[in-house]
Amino acid sequence: MSTATHTTSADHGHSPFLQHHFRDMDQQFNTAKIGMWLFLVTEILMFGGLFIGYGIMHANHPQAFLAAHHHLDRTLGAINTIVLLFSSFTMVMAIWAAQTSRKSLVILFLVITLLCAATFMGIKYSEYSHKFHEGLLPGKYYTHEGDTVPGQFLFFSFYFMMTGLHGIHVLLGMIVISWLIFRAVRGDFGPDYYGPLDITGLYWHLVDLIWIYLFPLMYLIS
Amino acid sequence: MSESNSHAAHITGPKTYVAVLLGLLVFTIITVQASYIDFGSMNTVVALIIATIKASLVALFFMHLRHDKFNAVIFVGGLLFLSIFLIWTLFDLSTRETILPSNLKEPVLEFPGAPLNKPVRPSTGQPAGTPAP
Repeated sequence: MSTATHTTSADHGHSPFLQHHFRDMDQQFNTAKIGMWLFLVTEILMFGGLFIGYGIMHANHPQAFLAAHHHLDRTLGAINTIVLLFSSFTMVMAIWAAQTSRKSLVILFLVITLLCAATFMGIKYSEYSHKFHEGLLPGKYYTHEGDTVPGQFLFFSFYFMMTGLHGIHVLLGMIVISWLIFRAVRGDFGPDYYGPLDITGLYWHLVDLIWIYLFPLMYLIS
Repeated sequence: MSESNSHAAHITGPKTYVAVLLGLLVFTIITVQASYIDFGSMNTVVALIIATIKASLVALFFMHLRHDKFNAVIFVGGLLFLSIFLIWTLFDLSTRETILPSNLKEPVLEFPGAPLNKPVRPSTGQPAGTPAP
């Protein structure tokens, strides 16, 4: 099998990262990319269901959603938005650094991305623990007292389900980015091979993209 | 397929990425500021338009869809199915008179917050029977 690969792709066949079932590095890269995009579409549809559920409940109980969202801290939400946008920027810069053979910059940008993700999760943790403390929890676990508007548990059901699922995606992204840092330190990535960086970047930008919609819908109801 | 084949030829420089990042930060500030202005029934629409501008910037530049027409078709196809889901749900939502729990014996008329006897649009008091803005 390997001899067949070598004869059909003279210029790329020597890369140790070329899987034997691909013709060349370009084909391998594009295949991985299409696979990632198909996965991202399933992610969009999964979050889409939650967004539409949120829309239905918001439309039916506007007062409850308006009252409940005042328990969220806009400043923390805005900081988290900026942190995540910045991490998307550093992620794409890591790809650029790999494309232009800047190995130390690849590592630097990936580490910044990981730190931004950790900051995001840290802020999310403090927000969550504050809400646990206040009893602002989904459904029957809602124990917050002194509400003037009933039905606020509905908002927190969506808040925890949507930001929680998003947070799990950030955690998974952090694991993959850590693996990328390991591989970047080993010197795997360069202009000929940066597929893992690119498709992890796509995933990371989608996580960012979902937060772009979550932020105004959760924190900025008016 | 040929568009996505030439990935090596499209190396976007840091200048573009910095510009996109600054654009995203500006729109973040705009969306926070816009939430303090009352656009009436258009509040959520304005927030979603700004979010969509930001999402487009991320998709076109950070996700390289500008140079990747093949995967852009996959992405837009996914959005198309999401919009079918959304539009049909909105039809149901805006034409239904009352949404009450199925185990409720008689409609509750005075019940601040939830569930409303007459569905209204978010943040305004307008009834939901009118076409979506």
